[in-house]
Amino acid sequence: MSEEALSGLKVLEFTQGMAGPWIGRMLAWCGADVIRIETRQAPGVVRLYIPPWDRESGVQPSLSPWFTDWDGGKLFVSLNLKRPGGVELAKGLVNWSEIVIENHRHGAMDRLGLGWDVLEQIKPSLIGLHSSGFGDGGQHPEYVTWGPNIEAMSGLASSSGFKNRGGAMTQYAYPDSLSALHGLFAVLCALDHRNRTGEGQRIALAQFEATVAMIGPLVMQQLAEGQSSVLMGNASLHRAPQGCYPCRGEDRWCVMSIESEAQWSSLCALLERPDWTHDPRFHSPAQRFQNSEEIDQALSRWTRERTPHEATEILQAAGITAGAVQNTEDQYRRDPHLEERQFFESIHHLVKGTVVATGIPLGLTGTPGHTRRAGAGMGEDNRHVFRDLLKLSESEYADHVEAGAIEEELS
Amino acid sequence: MVSESSFALTGRRVLELADHSGAYCGKLMADMGADVIKIEPPGGEPGRNIPPYLEGLKGPQRSFHFLYSNTSKRGITLDVELPEGRRLLRQLALSADILLSTQAPGELARLGIDHASLAKEKPTMVVTSITGFGLTGPHAQWKSNDLVAGAMGGAMYVTGEPDDPPVIVAGEQNTLMACTCAAASSLIALLHAHQSGRGQEVDISAQETTLAISHISGVGKWLDDGIIPRREGTGLTASVPSGAYDCQDGRIYLMVNRPAHWKALAEWIHEETGNQEVLDPLFEGPSSRRIEYRDLLDIFISDLTGLHTVQEMFHEGQRRHIAFTPFYSLSQVVQDPQLRSRGYFESMDHPETGPLEYPGAPFRPERTPWAIHRPAPIIGEHNRAVYLDELNLTEVKFKKLQAQGVI
Repeated sequence: MSEEALSGLKVLEFTQGMAGPWIGRMLAWCGADVIRIETRQAPGVVRLYIPPWDRESGVQPSLSPWFTDWDGGKLFVSLNLKRPGGVELAKGLVNWSEIVIENHRHGAMDRLGLGWDVLEQIKPSLIGLHSSGFGDGGQHPEYVTWGPNIEAMSGLASSSGFKNRGGAMTQYAYPDSLSALHGLFAVLCALDHRNRTGEGQRIALAQFEATVAMIGPLVMQQLAEGQSSVLMGNASLHRAPQGCYPCRGEDRWCVMSIESEAQWSSLCALLERPDWTHDPRFHSPAQRFQNSEEIDQALSRWTRERTPHEATEILQAAGITAGAVQNTEDQYRRDPHLEERQFFESIHHLVKGTVVATGIPLGLTGTPGHTRRAGAGMGEDNRHVFRDLLKLSESEYADHVEAGAIEEELS
Repeated sequence: MVSESSFALTGRRVLELADHSGAYCGKLMADMGADVIKIEPPGGEPGRNIPPYLEGLKGPQRSFHFLYSNTSKRGITLDVELPEGRRLLRQLALSADILLSTQAPGELARLGIDHASLAKEKPTMVVTSITGFGLTGPHAQWKSNDLVAGAMGGAMYVTGEPDDPPVIVAGEQNTLMACTCAAASSLIALLHAHQSGRGQEVDISAQETTLAISHISGVGKWLDDGIIPRREGTGLTASVPSGAYDCQDGRIYLMVNRPAHWKALAEWIHEETGNQEVLDPLFEGPSSRRIEYRDLLDIFISDLTGLHTVQEMFHEGQRRHIAFTPFYSLSQVVQDPQLRSRGYFESMDHPETGPLEYPGAPFRPERTPWAIHRPAPIIGEHNRAVYLDELNLTEVKFKKLQAQGVI
């Protein structure tokens, strides 16, 4: 096996949803040992998965594709922190780890007796990340949110979309992934600091704040001038024409963006309108933006005769910035580039044999990562973690199972 | 008390040979204390010309985009196409821990600063490239930007209203995610280099980072259920109920994922509207059990939200542990009491524009704080500091390079 970038790094997760678990997923892909603590009392949302192709059998806790996406590569222990000995075992795991990732409600860890003051005492070099909707203070740190709540509240949704639509939203809970990537970066900064000084620290990430930071220029304009730009859809003030154009087929589209006068000339040639290159209405991006209707109509006539991928090939060959609006099937079946880069990952799955998942986009060419396995049951690694890593004796282990602190494996 | 050495990345140097598509990566590291030196061509980089501009007036220090994504950096000018410029470029690159580039595939080799060549002199060198499609593969030379990444990366197909064309999320989100991934990956490579003595090339593709951040609608799900995700408006297909609902004075956003949250909501609807049907056990359990009743449940919920203002729904909903949040415009966001009470917005003076307010920390490390250390550099602001004090050029040589248009 090739060398892994974070091999030997020890990470512990008290997590739920996606914004926390995705950080551990990426660290595990880089070679870190990541243990996720779960409890049967409150299974994570991906564990509540009912396969649409097999509704009758009900909840299938290890089968969700999102469970692979968010939790592949980790070790799983099942611990009831409200039973005698449960918190002590968790503390043992904290002592084992270098990084703790946590995204429960504000105050939940404190109520369990596992607040940061406790964790920090166990291990002063510990790095802790707390990810939540609203952060640690202010008027309502305890309020519950999911990614889309923050998308709607941050101004991201209301700043996006076509005029008169009142905003546009993603189907992928975008604030969860942006928070996870920022959390990952913050933890790595803290790790660099710890390696140099021995000091650990806690980082609090508020998804609301991370998401508002993602529309920084718009927010700055709003703050400075009391107003912001109007909704532009897919158009741009400095690149024109630019947009999403209908292609052959049902709900098929491509995008195109003219970023230079050279590209504009190429497009005019392609549309067989060489006269447009010296038409005074189209002499600058601003003018083309003002007079976009005629251009967009001609372009749409051209794109409608082609599939998104045909149109893209021709436009790119002419040096024009363009792309097919790919759906999931396209990504997997019609993208030779992703295939050659082996972006999608085949992962050993404990129940299904092999699954294919979206790749981890860290691009570490010297130490490419991989996902060790997917589909772990609740408590899958109880014995390995508590016996081999925490060095409990067989009888201690049995006692904790008896007391209900270690919950028996449930796949 | 914050001393200079108390920032997490103090002492780490990043050389940024990047346009607007990589600027946020440098900002992330600079705001955490790294010494990020941004190289611009003499006259300034095109990223200074991205609208909107302060007071609508174009000018090199007036692009909100440039001002925001280049905080805390130092800025120098250098013409890397001239032989003397290239010599200085290599010297600067070797003085850094990380070289951050948005050059097209092959360009760094042409400039003599690709990873293979730098690593011969400095084995721990990390060279991070952010490009539209990555450095290898059949589309590596294709032209890309945020819109193309959103399209080819699958995000656009699943954003917006079902009856509209696909639409891009505002604010160049795909570019920002490629940058954030690049920042994280650069640090992973750096940590590994310190341990192993070997740096590496980091190859970030904006198409791939977009695929990864949108993976809820991605390949794993489709291979599992055979359903191609589409645009669904404000609701998330897998979470029922979810979406934006009308209140008396605006819209509220609701997300129900857990069985307990549904029960709490059903009881509230029943309490206020007298609806009996909503309590039917048929609707209980995981979200996927309610998928076929989505439209009906939306009507029940609208009956409740229509009785209230947005703020009433928000606070009473949260008191009941239900994830209700306002659907805000930007003017509401900048006045939000939670952000204001936490002192989120940062003010920073700028020699030409005067003080401006910025969005603040995306995360808050308790010991090594995030901070805006200085405003975005004006063109060539740190030429003297870098070339004279750090590269030890003589005053005569410096003047000569200026006269030749190298810097």
